[in-house]
Amino acid sequence: MTTITETTVAPTRLSWLTPNLLGVALLLLLGYGLVPWIGSDYLMDAVLTPFLALALAAIGLNVLTGYAGQVSLGSAAFLAVGAYAAYNLNLRLPSLPLLADIVLAGAIAAAVGIVFGLPSLRLRGFYLAVSTLAAQFFVQWALTKFGWFSNDNASGVIDAPVIRIGSLSFTSATGRYVFSLSIVAVATALTARLLASQIGRNFIAVRDHEVAAKVIGVPLLRTKLLAFGISSFLIGVAGVLWAFAYLRTVEPAGFNLDRSFQILFIIIIGGLASLRGAFIGAAFIVVFPLLLSRLGAALLGSVFDSGVLEMSQRIVIGALIIAFLIAEPRGLVALIDRAVAAARRLRSSQS
Amino acid sequence: MLLSALTTSLDVLALETWAPGTARQVLDTEPAAAPGAQVSGGPRAVLRLANISLSFGGLTALRDVDLDVAEGEIRAVIGPNGAGKSSLLNVVSGLYRPDQGEVWFGDHAFRQVPTAQLARLGVARTFQNLALFNGLSAFDNVLIGLAHRVHTGFIRQLVGSPAARRIEAENRAAAEEVIGFLHLQEVRDRIAGSLPYGLQKRVELARALVARPKLLLLDEPFAGVTLSGKQELAQHVRGARDRYGTTIVLIEHDIGIVMGLSDHIAVLDYGRKIADGPPAEIKTNQAVIDAYLGVAHEDETELAI
Amino acid sequence: MFDTQFLIEVLVGGLLSGVMYSLVAIGFVLIYKTSGVLNFAQGAMLLFAALTFVSLVERGTPFALALLATLAIMVALGITIERAVLRPLINQPPITLFMATLGLSYVIEGAAQLLWGTQVHGLEIGVSDIPFDIAGVFISRFDLFAAAVAGSLVALFTLFFRYTRTGLAFRAVADDQFAALAVGLRLPRVWAAVWTAAGIVALVAGLLWGARLGVQFSLSLVVLKALPVLVLGGFDSITGAIVGGLLIGAIEKLAEVYVGPFFGGGIEAWAAYVVALALLLVRPSGLFGQKLVERV
Ligand SMILES: Nc1ncnc2c1ncn2[C@@H]1O[C@H](COP(=O)(O)OP(=O)(O)OP(=O)(O)O)[C@@H](O)[C@H]1O
Ligand SMILES: [Mg+2]
Repeated sequence: MTTITETTVAPTRLSWLTPNLLGVALLLLLGYGLVPWIGSDYLMDAVLTPFLALALAAIGLNVLTGYAGQVSLGSAAFLAVGAYAAYNLNLRLPSLPLLADIVLAGAIAAAVGIVFGLPSLRLRGFYLAVSTLAAQFFVQWALTKFGWFSNDNASGVIDAPVIRIGSLSFTSATGRYVFSLSIVAVATALTARLLASQIGRNFIAVRDHEVAAKVIGVPLLRTKLLAFGISSFLIGVAGVLWAFAYLRTVEPAGFNLDRSFQILFIIIIGGLASLRGAFIGAAFIVVFPLLLSRLGAALLGSVFDSGVLEMSQRIVIGALIIAFLIAEPRGLVALIDRAVAAARRLRSSQS
Repeated sequence: MLLSALTTSLDVLALETWAPGTARQVLDTEPAAAPGAQVSGGPRAVLRLANISLSFGGLTALRDVDLDVAEGEIRAVIGPNGAGKSSLLNVVSGLYRPDQGEVWFGDHAFRQVPTAQLARLGVARTFQNLALFNGLSAFDNVLIGLAHRVHTGFIRQLVGSPAARRIEAENRAAAEEVIGFLHLQEVRDRIAGSLPYGLQKRVELARALVARPKLLLLDEPFAGVTLSGKQELAQHVRGARDRYGTTIVLIEHDIGIVMGLSDHIAVLDYGRKIADGPPAEIKTNQAVIDAYLGVAHEDETELAI
Repeated sequence: MFDTQFLIEVLVGGLLSGVMYSLVAIGFVLIYKTSGVLNFAQGAMLLFAALTFVSLVERGTPFALALLATLAIMVALGITIERAVLRPLINQPPITLFMATLGLSYVIEGAAQLLWGTQVHGLEIGVSDIPFDIAGVFISRFDLFAAAVAGSLVALFTLFFRYTRTGLAFRAVADDQFAALAVGLRLPRVWAAVWTAAGIVALVAGLLWGARLGVQFSLSLVVLKALPVLVLGGFDSITGAIVGGLLIGAIEKLAEVYVGPFFGGGIEAWAAYVVALALLLVRPSGLFGQKLVERV
């Protein structure tokens, strides 16, 4: 009863420094051990696989924007680079195993990302944000314009190859889900490790106070380009998942500015500079339209057609962005943390 | 009449906050550093400013400023608001490029100091407005003060190569030590942005100290700190010099602190250095008293009315 | 060999369409100068204005009345935005505000289309697109008209900011927010006024662009044309917005005609960005933007 004032002084710890390994293990157990056996194809195909791809893309953008503080509006371009690079590697170097294709596709996306990250050395804030739009438009244009990228398919459409590793092939909805889960789990673990190293500290230093970081001897050039490179690598790999495991047929127009904004919204809603936030935000963005359409159909019946659905989605997402920026700039992840802490307090005060 | 009253008020301030000679006493017990004895401008100058001028558009922030700071001394730089003190430190740390003049660190002369090399040159600084990395813990803020020592690439950090691990361990040990030295253990895992102001100032000092700089530049480290906090922090500043032999350039408005802590004081007014000498001399310097208390300008306005 | 006549025609065409870019860019600059926000929702406001106007006219409202009604709605929208979005976010970093306007653009676009539907509307403002022949160079009548409208709007704003109280307050705030606060100017007032002004610019630009392209969702994408203009001219300079718009207009057309064929066309999607970026590397705050030495 009287301990309420004391509990508020509990130190605020960094969430990524003390990863709740138990929770992660539990989630992985669920993801591998339970979902593939009891989940429907619809769940894995239309919900979980895009969720995983978007979560990985959001982790990539979070590295750049959330951790290193460089705003990018061109994420979809790197998704596209990853997807098309993997497609071409698979097509033109058939002897390479698919995993190597994926890693190389990530590396190519990273290289493109570093090129478009070069202006960050001189530009700040809005000027940089606008310059990342150049990546968005240029990549989309190049993929549509040059037939080579899509093996001369009309308007740049590509059909993804079957995902095959050794003698295992991942063709079913379950297979593609498990494949995505594995890639995302490994990529997330590596990213978490990197963020906990000196490089992660350098990112945050550049974000929080660039001048102080420079004075201390944080190599600004290297740090920023590394942020662009790692971010684009992760987004590129996410693009491979998006194209190979989720949609199976993609065109450059699918990687438009709206997609870039979608990924940005994921990290704002989920929580900037938080890996958990990327997952929570991605889950929200994937599940929310499904819920909204069910709800709209139930409440309004036939008035709620696909056009109305799309528009009301835009309105609600936009409003949510504003609401989060005003009420909880640290996103859903902070809300959840607070709720958990409150529940704990409640329990401890009862006992 | 008026002037003499002001002089005494300066004296009183000094006596109140600091028993004069405290600095000396500590020094006597620690013969390794003997800064007071050093003739400024001698060959051992750790920092030398030669003829520095700096302007922003039409506004002259610094005019022909010379300054010699000897090894191991605590040199205060004082002056009214807008006198150019921070600009001076910004020139020394390469954030501003002077229109004219050179900055010398030991034997190296620079037209503009390469800020990115500052840490490697053995120079560290704090900022007038807090410049902590708010998203990092207090400990990580201190640890990152050694960023310039981490030269392992990202692959080696990712896989945790032996070199990467060794450097990380060394740096962590060094950061632990400074955390202990400045009594920050209690808050080492707190997010820096969530700490009270005084503690943030102390973390910033720790971040600057962790690299064991030869030269430490402090821009108003006591501003906004409570009285007791100030005394404690002053002990730490002096302790840093005594323990690590660090040469310190200190900007401060609190005359009491300055008188008690520094070996020499340079006074800036409208970008010009109007006095430079030991505390006792500065205290009675007429030009300083005029400038600092704006007497001349009050006269002018009176005349105008 | 080289057709000078054609070059001039392309150049003039580019400059005139550049005026249209300037018009959109000015809306940005007004808001940026006073509140430091890059208002991404400018394009959505433009769409909203044009769509509202067209829909009113289509429902039989007389032209002048529809114009007035739309104007009133834009003013209300400006004030609402100030209340609901800007005021709660006061003192937040500029990038947060930018993201908020991104959210805002989604809301406005969604609302505009939910209200008025998603079909394409034709907009006839009574100016034909028949080209003039001036000394052998063909110039679009519509482009000239648009340029004239944009020019008068700029002149009007200039007068307003020079000679009215609100204009003076605006300039004070643009100059130094803290000083303006200190002398007792009420920032929310100025902001509401500025968002209203931006709404008017959006209306005019929306009508001109709508008459050119048809009123439809893609109208909000002219915001993407205005961004390189802003980068080129500097976010905080009206002169920059005008000069930048002209430059981008001209460069885009010239590049499209003379460089485009080498790449199979379509380069106007990014040519402006590349030019703006190249300039940024030389002048990080644009041609006319304020150059600041960061204080620490
Ligand atoms: N980056 C800058 N751009 C423009 N003017 C500047 C800049 N930095 C400093 N100034 C101007 O130079 C003059 C000296 O400023 P400076 O910050 O060096 O003073 P100071 O002595 O540190 O004052 P204070 O005691 O208030 O900190 C002031 O008039 C200030 O406005
Ligand atoms: Mg200062």
